[in-house]
Amino acid sequence: MTATATSTPINTTTTTTIATRVRDRALATPKAVAMREKDFGIWREVTWAQYWQRIQEVGHALLALGIEHGDRVAVHSENRREWLYSDLGAVSVRAITVGLYPTNPPAEVGYLLSHSGARVLIAEDQEQVDKALEVLDSCPELEWIVYIEPRGIRHRYENSKLMAWEEFLALGRKHMAEHPDAVAQRMAAAGSDDILTLVYTSGTTGPPKGAMLSVSNVEFAISALVDGGGFTSPPPGPNDILLSYLPLCHVAERIFTTWYNAGAGVQVNFAESVATVQPNLREIQPTILFGVPRIWERILAGVQIRLASASWFKRLNAKLWTGVANGIADTLVRTGGNHTFGSRLRYALGWLFYYRSLRERLGMSNVRFAASGAAPIAPEVLKFFMGIGVPMHEVYGMTENTAVATGNRPGRVKLGTVGEPQNNTELRIDPDTGEIQTRHGGTFVGYYRDPAATAAAMTPDGWLKTGDVGEWIDGTHVRITDRAKDIIITSGGKNISPSEIENGLKASPFIKEAIVIGDQRKFLSALIGIELETVGEWAQRRNIAYTTYRDLGEKPEVLKLVQSIVDEVNSKHAPVEQIRQFRMLPKELDHEDGELTATMKVKRSAVGKLFAELVEDIYG
Amino acid sequence: MKNRPLLYTSYAGEMGLLNTRAKQLSVGLMILVALVLPFVLDDQWLSLLAICAATAIGAIGLGLVTGYAGQVSLGHAFFIGIGTFTAAVLSGDPNGRTLGFGITNMLIWLPAAGLVALVAGIIVAPLATRLRGLYLAIVTLGLVVIGEHIFAEWSDVTGGLGVGRPPATLDVAGYHVGVTDSVGTKDQKAYWLMLILLVVFALAARNLARSKVGRAFTAIRDRDIAAGVIGVNLPRYKTIAFAISSFYAGCAGALLYPLIGFIEPGSFNLGMSVLYVAMVLIGGAGTISGAIAGAFFITLLPTLTRQLMPLLPFISESSDRIPNLLQLQTILYGVLIIGFLIFEPRGLFGIWIRIRSYWKSWPFSY
Repeated sequence: MTATATSTPINTTTTTTIATRVRDRALATPKAVAMREKDFGIWREVTWAQYWQRIQEVGHALLALGIEHGDRVAVHSENRREWLYSDLGAVSVRAITVGLYPTNPPAEVGYLLSHSGARVLIAEDQEQVDKALEVLDSCPELEWIVYIEPRGIRHRYENSKLMAWEEFLALGRKHMAEHPDAVAQRMAAAGSDDILTLVYTSGTTGPPKGAMLSVSNVEFAISALVDGGGFTSPPPGPNDILLSYLPLCHVAERIFTTWYNAGAGVQVNFAESVATVQPNLREIQPTILFGVPRIWERILAGVQIRLASASWFKRLNAKLWTGVANGIADTLVRTGGNHTFGSRLRYALGWLFYYRSLRERLGMSNVRFAASGAAPIAPEVLKFFMGIGVPMHEVYGMTENTAVATGNRPGRVKLGTVGEPQNNTELRIDPDTGEIQTRHGGTFVGYYRDPAATAAAMTPDGWLKTGDVGEWIDGTHVRITDRAKDIIITSGGKNISPSEIENGLKASPFIKEAIVIGDQRKFLSALIGIELETVGEWAQRRNIAYTTYRDLGEKPEVLKLVQSIVDEVNSKHAPVEQIRQFRMLPKELDHEDGELTATMKVKRSAVGKLFAELVEDIYG
Repeated sequence: MKNRPLLYTSYAGEMGLLNTRAKQLSVGLMILVALVLPFVLDDQWLSLLAICAATAIGAIGLGLVTGYAGQVSLGHAFFIGIGTFTAAVLSGDPNGRTLGFGITNMLIWLPAAGLVALVAGIIVAPLATRLRGLYLAIVTLGLVVIGEHIFAEWSDVTGGLGVGRPPATLDVAGYHVGVTDSVGTKDQKAYWLMLILLVVFALAARNLARSKVGRAFTAIRDRDIAAGVIGVNLPRYKTIAFAISSFYAGCAGALLYPLIGFIEPGSFNLGMSVLYVAMVLIGGAGTISGAIAGAFFITLLPTLTRQLMPLLPFISESSDRIPNLLQLQTILYGVLIIGFLIFEPRGLFGIWIRIRSYWKSWPFSY
């Protein structure tokens, strides 16, 4: 090594991690934009050089706090720049990032902090700090709580464990001045077996489990999903722009935000909050858009509601071109996503009058690849977006295989399937149970502090049991029937997949939640939750007065509306798969009340218990 | 960032003078069309449009104080008069019947006219900082009354009531604009000059409106107490509003009368003030383009009504018959003001806003 090389804190590490990837980008393109965040009305830009500088400061600060290889650093925040600084800072000193959902109630925060044994918690604001302080006694290993937003905390809270973000960074800068090479040395020692992050799965049954993902898991995911174009094809690059708005503790958003950013240089833009996704989308006009089904359903419902209240001429225009779009979508479904001359011509005409402006309003003008994943979605929803010219692809993966399983590829889309296995991925369907199993370099290391659950998730020969039941379509594509444990077996002995029926119902803009019941019962029934916004609007236009969610849901007119939707869905299914009766949920399901997981999936068992009276009313 | 008109990465970008592609294109196109108009229209129309442009500068001035800062002023005619006479005195014939200093260069008399009016505005401003609403309107009305008296009596400067005096000469650094030569006819050249000045004054006003000063103005208009609470220095910004408005008025007066060719001291009366208020209201209070549109509309109205005459044979052109053209015009002004206030309070600009938002919200309605 020459003298100049030792004076610069940059060594070449043998193992590539997401931290070295950011470092290399900061060296190659220091002035290029790495991310943006809206602050006081302006999208503030962060360059790669600034990003890397901040990561180093966080890394040094963690070293100054005595964080060792393998220690856990928890982040409890909405998506923002500091999330990435903290994540990458922790990775740079070989610590393990643990993400907490901003919606996690205190009890869950306590469970996650104590189970992971986090030594440092980076909490966003007073709300999250309060949750941590409430459960501080149950987390003996927690030494520091770093808060990002000082409002309400500074000068008011007296706790020796609290530290402001600015103090934290100052600590890092001081450490950096004293030990300029400390982070670089720690990084150089990183191995591919290092655990990089714990991703706690949402846990529709039982408490959340912390899946350990190693450096090599993440690198495999980047090679398959980013470089290999598994989730975005052609592969993403520095000119791609995306909006980060789903929780970063979920593996899907972590891929699209952190790993796309570090792996391919994609520019990340942080939405102000989940509530402002629509206006933010319109401003950012991303080129790559990933959404969970709930987001796509909401956007579709929003379009329908706003069209319903448009002037007659605009309604007429929309009706005409929506009809044409359906035709285009049918063609695309037939051809796997390739335009024919006829569909291209129809689209060009509609682009002038409708599709162009509609896509602009939705923030999808520049979307070159849209993906839906993390939960099953109704094909009608996907078709809508395909028809208006948004290239929509359903993809599939789970935390335990670092989200590497299958994806639809442009031009080879099969609607209703989750696509073809990714590159370098082995995928098989167990002939006995129909369960999908995967084996590749992204298979997780195991559940943290839970060898029993780890053993249960794997087959003896190293295949990961996904817990999803599926089948091959045409030998190339995979169709998922349902989660294995969700499959309903009626008392008549018929196997029924509830999610298909539920998604059919949820494709209606008026229905937010649908839970099909019928295990060991004579017939199928459903608990249905309305979408307050759209049904409220619908009721207003019909002069139906209502007070609360419950009141609205029990109006005879609304019941009739829901019945008509149920009838329509029933008409597409065989008699045994039809819903004979339904009841309205008296409240909106909520994460805090334990009815939904942090990713807004329904906890069937909890709902079944909470609304047992309704269920008994149906069958009783 | 291409194709992302709503993505602002700096405040400068968001507050840009012409912050969208559509605005840049449309303003550029409008200026281009305006520049080539002289090759299409005959001189009679051009001279009328030049008057419109000069009037528009005055309307922008009133728009700043009334539309942006919300201070109703009926004294605009007074400031226009001050500017007119300052320019006329400076460029007047030293040996003539009325006072004159023989400085014919517009580059001198135009700023001077504006500045003298501005000083007058600053002197009046303390009234405005103490009064508001109706009281302010009445006080500024008093200003016009005083002005009318001075203009009528100070005949050395104004030539006296019913007699008048010649206005300033349009002479830019030795080049006579008001004379036909090889470049173009005098009307063509005057039109171009006025157009350029209007663009300069309008952009300057737009620039002011988007700045800290402009935001202070709108804050005062929306609620002066609230503005004071959030830290807007009320006396200071009300003074600025009156000063700038008077500057615009002075310049407008100085430019307007050389086009008309003669100054009648009696014309700076309440009627003129009301006409300017009408321009701002009909055009759309609180917008620069609205003030310009209002000025053009009101100034062109007499000509337009005359064009309509063949369609209304029962209306006479001579003023001693009833109903005659003059009466029709007066009634029309009244009807227009009432009509706009009731049906389109945001003025001509409001109509444009409505059309724009119809297409902007496409394919939805909001």
